[in-house]
Amino acid sequence: MAEGGEGELPDAEALFEDAACGLLLTGADGTIRRVNRTFCRWTGRPAEALVGKLKVQDLLTMGGKIFHQTHWAPLLQMQGAVAEVKLDVLHGDGHTLPMVMNVVRRSHPGGTFDEISTFVAEDRNKYEKELLLARRRAEELLRQQQEVQDALTRSQAELDRQRASAEGRAQFAEQMVGIVSHDLRNPLSAIQLSAYVLARAELPSPHRKALERITHSTQRAQRLIEDLLDFTVAKVGRGISVTRESIQLHQVAAGAAEELRTSFPGREIEHRTIGEGPCRGDADRLTQAIGNLVANAMTYGAFDRPVRLTSRIERETFALEVHNAGKPIPPEQLAGLFEPMTRGFDGANSARSVGLGLFIVREIARAHGGEVGVQSSAEAGTIFLLRCPR
Amino acid sequence: MNENDRRAMNVRQRNNVEVAGDGPATLVFAHGFGCDKNMWRLLAPHFAPRYRTVLFDQVGSGLSDLKAYDRKKYGSLHGYASDLLEVMDATAAGPVIFVGHSVSAMIGLLAGIAAPERIAAHVMVGPSPCYINDGDYVGGFTRADIDGLLDTLESNYLGWSSSMAPAIMGAADQPELAIELTNSFCRTDPEIAKHFARVTFLSDHRADVARLEAPALVLQCSEDLIAPRSVGEFMVRTLPRPTLRILENNGHCPHLSAPTASAAAIDEFLAGLGH
Repeated sequence: MAEGGEGELPDAEALFEDAACGLLLTGADGTIRRVNRTFCRWTGRPAEALVGKLKVQDLLTMGGKIFHQTHWAPLLQMQGAVAEVKLDVLHGDGHTLPMVMNVVRRSHPGGTFDEISTFVAEDRNKYEKELLLARRRAEELLRQQQEVQDALTRSQAELDRQRASAEGRAQFAEQMVGIVSHDLRNPLSAIQLSAYVLARAELPSPHRKALERITHSTQRAQRLIEDLLDFTVAKVGRGISVTRESIQLHQVAAGAAEELRTSFPGREIEHRTIGEGPCRGDADRLTQAIGNLVANAMTYGAFDRPVRLTSRIERETFALEVHNAGKPIPPEQLAGLFEPMTRGFDGANSARSVGLGLFIVREIARAHGGEVGVQSSAEAGTIFLLRCPR
Repeated sequence: MNENDRRAMNVRQRNNVEVAGDGPATLVFAHGFGCDKNMWRLLAPHFAPRYRTVLFDQVGSGLSDLKAYDRKKYGSLHGYASDLLEVMDATAAGPVIFVGHSVSAMIGLLAGIAAPERIAAHVMVGPSPCYINDGDYVGGFTRADIDGLLDTLESNYLGWSSSMAPAIMGAADQPELAIELTNSFCRTDPEIAKHFARVTFLSDHRADVARLEAPALVLQCSEDLIAPRSVGEFMVRTLPRPTLRILENNGHCPHLSAPTASAAAIDEFLAGLGH
């Protein structure tokens, strides 16, 4: 035999029988008329069991048979050829064999025949199944992702709803407190005015004492109402408002000290001034802050020692300091001291107030762009400090 | 352009409608699962000298507007029936003669029940109201068979996807036809094909068959795997005004494999109706 294929070529019959693909010849109705050895070997079916006995569609699964009728047959009729169809072929022993097929319909003198070539496509089949699986997995992931997204959107909507509802409640609370405060102030003013009228009359000493208590308590009640209003605005509403204008800090502090002396008769309040110059601030709010700090010092400081108010003007800032002697504040309470509803450290006095005073001082400082601080020790006493930019 | 014209134009685009022929009556042809309106290419020209002929692609098939494919609407044959009525409104004033292949015969049935005045007569080519066996009823398939078909469609995903045209072989006798057709015929979005297959082969409209008042010709093929003889017999037994013609033919598409015999049977049926 010659090397390199230069000898005589194999005849067509041999080429057909052992071609590198399965070959079938069928009538237009699919009846198998010829089949090559390769196809018989692949499908485990002898030629004599196929030729004249079965149609090509008989070799397909039911799904394949439907596909044959809905796609293969019309395609052959319309365009005379079908390419790259992949169908499962029933092996003689019952298992299925994925095959890729090309079909061409041709008319010969002896009639019209369908010429089919087939290739076993196990590996391609596996690969495509992997692809389909991966695709399904990707679609599943996409679906899950979508679900998470939807859940997130729903949570966000719920959050928005709750926030709107909370804002509504806050607004309502602010309005309620506003209304109640306003309504409380009127009877308090009436009490105060009546006490003022009575004070001008000649009263026996025990009655005068009682009158002083009435006046004092009324003032305290008024301060509490103010605090409550400010607290509500600061905590749940728009925040404490200040109107900053040019002020004489020392004069403001002196005025506040003077007022406080009448409120706390029998207690000593010193006022010290340091530095000079104009400042910008809200005189009423700063007076209020001093009032709260001094009231605090009166309550918690030593009764027999003066409370010292210092108004200090520095290069870029101004400060108000209130000092009292007495038992220091326990260190663990220092951090939360300016939070609302924080009561004083002295248990005996705990029922005295709801603890809004220091919180309001801090809010006033912040509204001025400043801050508050506190230092407390047994030796130096307690100093509250409010410092704002000038 | 008024509102009606605009709607008609949208329907014509959506369903890739093609009107030909001339005559006092209109034949509307609807293709079945798997292919498109080109299926009628051997049959429709036979009628064109005497009738107006309307061909169209079901949404999701052929050159229809795939963007119009709404899985919810086309989750039942009623979605297609509503399209069919719109196609008829867009193309013909009076009642038409409807020719439906396979699943489209049932789509025509639903349209005919919904609007009896729009369809004067039905030609049902290989109809089946239910493909799955159920008690005494032999539809020809089990549920597992249908799942097998869906698998087959899926495993031909690469080959049948519209972006990959396979090599055109042979077809020496009519090469230009092959080139023209390969791009659309039997070729569609594989997801839509799968969904259409599921909707088609899982449909059950046996209860509707008795409700069709118009005369109906059942063109039954002697050896049809998709719509076997038992199904044709059910149709004839159940339809109020049936005519049965059995075509000696191998397969589910007599309009392709036996166009002359199919045309003759339809002519005879229409003549009997006075056309």
